[in-house]
Amino acid sequence: MPVINTHDPERQEIVSRRTFLFGGGVSLLFVGVAGRLYQLQIADYDKYQDLAQDNQFNRRVLTPLRGEIIDRFGNALASNRKNFRILLIPEQSRDINATLDKISKYIPVSDEKRARIIREIRRRGAFTPVEIKNNLSWPDFSRVNFELPHLAGVLPDVGETRDYPLGEASAFVIGYVGAVTDKDLAAQEGNDDRTLLRQPGFKVGRDGLERTYEKELRGQAGKMNVKINAHGRVIEELTDEATPPVQGKTLTLTIDAELQQVAMKELEGESAAAIVMDTVTGDILVMASTPAFNPNDFNVGIDAGLWKSLTESPYKPLLNKPLSGVYPPGSTFKVVSAIAAQVTGVKTSQTAHCTGKIWYGNRYFHCWKRGGHGTLDMKGAIKHSCDVYFYEIAKKLEIDVLADAARKFGLGQTYELGVPGQKKGIIPDREWKRQYFAGQPENQPWFQGETLSVIIGQGYVTSTPLQLCVMAARIASGRAVRPRLVRAVGDLVLPEPSAPLIDVDHDYLKVVRAGMNAVTNEYGTASRSRLEDPNWQLAGKTGTSQVYRITTEDRAKGLAKPEDLPWERRDHALFVCYMPYENPRYACSVVIEHGIGGARAAGPKAREIMRAVAAKNPAARTAVDPRSLVQRATAKREG
Amino acid sequence: MSSLILPGPRRGVRERLAQLHWPLIILLTMIAGVGVITLYSVAEGNWRPWSLRHGLRYLVALSVLIAIGMVAIRHWMALSYPIYFAALLALAATPFIGEINMGARRWIELGGMQFQPSEAMKIGLVMALARYYHGLRAEQVSHILYLIPPALMIGAPVGLVFIQPDLGTALLLAATGIIIVFVAGLSWRIGMIGVAGAVAAGYSAYRFEFLKGYQIERILTFLNPDRDPLGQGYHLLQSKIALGSGGLDGKGFMNGTQSQLKFLPEMQTDFIFTIFGEEFGFVGAVGLLILYLAVILTGLSIAMSAKSHFARLAVIGVVATFALYVLINTGMVMGLAPVVGVPLPLVSYGGTVMLTIMAGFGLVMSAHVHRDHDVLRSSDLL
Repeated sequence: MPVINTHDPERQEIVSRRTFLFGGGVSLLFVGVAGRLYQLQIADYDKYQDLAQDNQFNRRVLTPLRGEIIDRFGNALASNRKNFRILLIPEQSRDINATLDKISKYIPVSDEKRARIIREIRRRGAFTPVEIKNNLSWPDFSRVNFELPHLAGVLPDVGETRDYPLGEASAFVIGYVGAVTDKDLAAQEGNDDRTLLRQPGFKVGRDGLERTYEKELRGQAGKMNVKINAHGRVIEELTDEATPPVQGKTLTLTIDAELQQVAMKELEGESAAAIVMDTVTGDILVMASTPAFNPNDFNVGIDAGLWKSLTESPYKPLLNKPLSGVYPPGSTFKVVSAIAAQVTGVKTSQTAHCTGKIWYGNRYFHCWKRGGHGTLDMKGAIKHSCDVYFYEIAKKLEIDVLADAARKFGLGQTYELGVPGQKKGIIPDREWKRQYFAGQPENQPWFQGETLSVIIGQGYVTSTPLQLCVMAARIASGRAVRPRLVRAVGDLVLPEPSAPLIDVDHDYLKVVRAGMNAVTNEYGTASRSRLEDPNWQLAGKTGTSQVYRITTEDRAKGLAKPEDLPWERRDHALFVCYMPYENPRYACSVVIEHGIGGARAAGPKAREIMRAVAAKNPAARTAVDPRSLVQRATAKREG
Repeated sequence: MSSLILPGPRRGVRERLAQLHWPLIILLTMIAGVGVITLYSVAEGNWRPWSLRHGLRYLVALSVLIAIGMVAIRHWMALSYPIYFAALLALAATPFIGEINMGARRWIELGGMQFQPSEAMKIGLVMALARYYHGLRAEQVSHILYLIPPALMIGAPVGLVFIQPDLGTALLLAATGIIIVFVAGLSWRIGMIGVAGAVAAGYSAYRFEFLKGYQIERILTFLNPDRDPLGQGYHLLQSKIALGSGGLDGKGFMNGTQSQLKFLPEMQTDFIFTIFGEEFGFVGAVGLLILYLAVILTGLSIAMSAKSHFARLAVIGVVATFALYVLINTGMVMGLAPVVGVPLPLVSYGGTVMLTIMAGFGLVMSAHVHRDHDVLRSSDLL
């Protein structure tokens, strides 16, 4: 039996040696770990300290509120309102589809929208909030808020969006805002505003004053550092070091919102334009265009169907008719024709006998009155709008003299209004014709017969409702009044445009004014359009411009009257006027597209608009002082 | 069986309590205390959900340690093989009855409690190897025939854990086993040959492209489903930022911005060293390392003073496991070791690992309390 010997010195010695070795090895490794700690925490401390700062802080851009646009009395034309949105943070929602299903119970989410949301989530990652729906009504928004405990990952948010309280009525004056495009971003290359434009939901002016005054309205972005966690979620806002955003400047207009709405109401149902301006200051009080679009539909993203109907409508609801619609002025042009006649020496007492037509060149020129007016002097010719009287003058009238008079009275030019898209119209003269027919030498010389057309506002001549209104204002004041739309940018009040006396013998104006007064008040062509108030005696001039000449064939078919023609071939109806006759203050022009008759369609509209203007008399009221406006400096915070 | 054993002086319970290695218990308690305060900070100043439970678990585990320590080492030696084989059986059964968790079967339900056979194996393997070498004479250790049983003893559980798949634990088991074999006296020559062979095999597999890049990726992903190279890079960077920005004396208790802001994943488990290091800085982190090293060196001194061969090797095995945990975890959060998901012992939140560690130190304690006991080498009796 072997000795029970548990004592095995050799074995114990090996184990002891190896244990020392093991202990030494482990200790060395611990020293290595400590060395690594030294490297991280002592040697590279600064580097990791910086990285930790970067980790924690993120610079946020604070979006400024867009400047407001107000009318002459301080009423809002464009302001900002709360936009109630529902966002979804994918990371916090267990099942996106289930969450969307639940939300659809309170607010509809179309399949198309759902697909878009899911695409967006995939693209932007789980931690970036995605917009489910914006511009919610308060009841919908509060319902979702109420159900919030059951909607994992849903985040209600209140942003700001542009609001146009007048809707359609201000569409063409203000324009609208829209989403930022890549082109906008490219234009801001190297600019601080670029970051601002990248903010979700940021809008820039797309048309009208919103576009022209984009820089002034945009305001200045604020900056704030925020503490964030690894998921990019904001833990703390460091408001102490923040620069608050500065709201954009307020734009004070010359428009009278109340009268603007009256005019829009008056023109409802027509494809028409109306302008009212102050004959002394040039302030545009009314600039109406119908039908109009609602700019509120644009700033939240217009729906494709609505856009299609807007672009395809024959009534051109996207056309700013007062500034961009060009029409033959028709008989309203006779006011400058009468001036031009006197410039060439025609006396106002000179008469002509109207039999309804005259022969000139190789054809008859008809008067609008088939049976003729009989014998008329210049005032009578204006009062009755006799074409033959002016044909007789045109036979000997140099076209350049007529064109010169037209330009002096405001036609054939554009004005600094700040609204893009203004048209110049055409005031034909010899030079114009040479250029217009550059490729056809045989058509380049001016034919006197053409003067016969132009003198009654037909033929080549075209003008915008704005120009016609300026014409009426200049006839009334005798001064080269220039229209304006913006009174002040921020607290900077813009100077009134100068209005020097027009360089013609001011005696020439008397017969024109008397003729216009006779049109409405002495049983002229528009006696229905007179204003009864003796303090506001209205002087006007009708115009009917031909769009389509009724041919012999048409007559054979029984299409004798304009009413028989399809709408788009009917004559345009025009009316220009000013008041009061003595000591004028307001001028107005109205154009009704295919309205058939100036006296019948346009005159009464102008009368009603002017009646409202007279009742309010805005020029006598104190307008808002732009320097007293308090800028709302509250910051809009990015959600 | 008692006739085979040379009993040391028998002592009463009270006497044995006095014989406990109190410095070791104090060191372990200090480390667990670091866990309690760090978990309190991770929960943003709350005792729940981790800190309080961590402390309570430690107290339970400490009583387990003391209980194990009171039992004579010879009884543990007698239980070595049964424990090992029970653990091996449970490991083998896990693929069939285990719970799937994070894509791997690692857990089995046992009487309403979750039980991880691979954890039990960490102790089982240490005990079995110690038991095996207890019966060998010095000259037998490096004999090739006597190397086969330990190779199988290590290989079987490593293989089973590997296919669970749990790469981290498999490597830990293998490393622990190899350390015991080495300390038991394996000749340098055989050791060198083994190391050279492993390196050559690995290199040729790489050099001759037995495995394509994407295959390696797939295998690694299969072995460790949590693996996410991009995510790991990010987490590692965040861990380094947190530690580095802690500086010399740290950002202060509860002021660890990086960790409070949730830049780190698994803060309560794998990355807890980072949190501690950020808040208490280089001073605190090195202090914690010193505590760990003190535990390890205390353990080794206990091993050296134990009379029985089994006790010596078992203690070294337990200490080796503990040291590997600490080194892999700290190395991992500082970018010195791959992110394999190894917790920091006694500080990371998690009951099973804590119980394993403390049960292991129970053996260490038993070896200390009964250091004068020797146990007969059974082979001499055969």
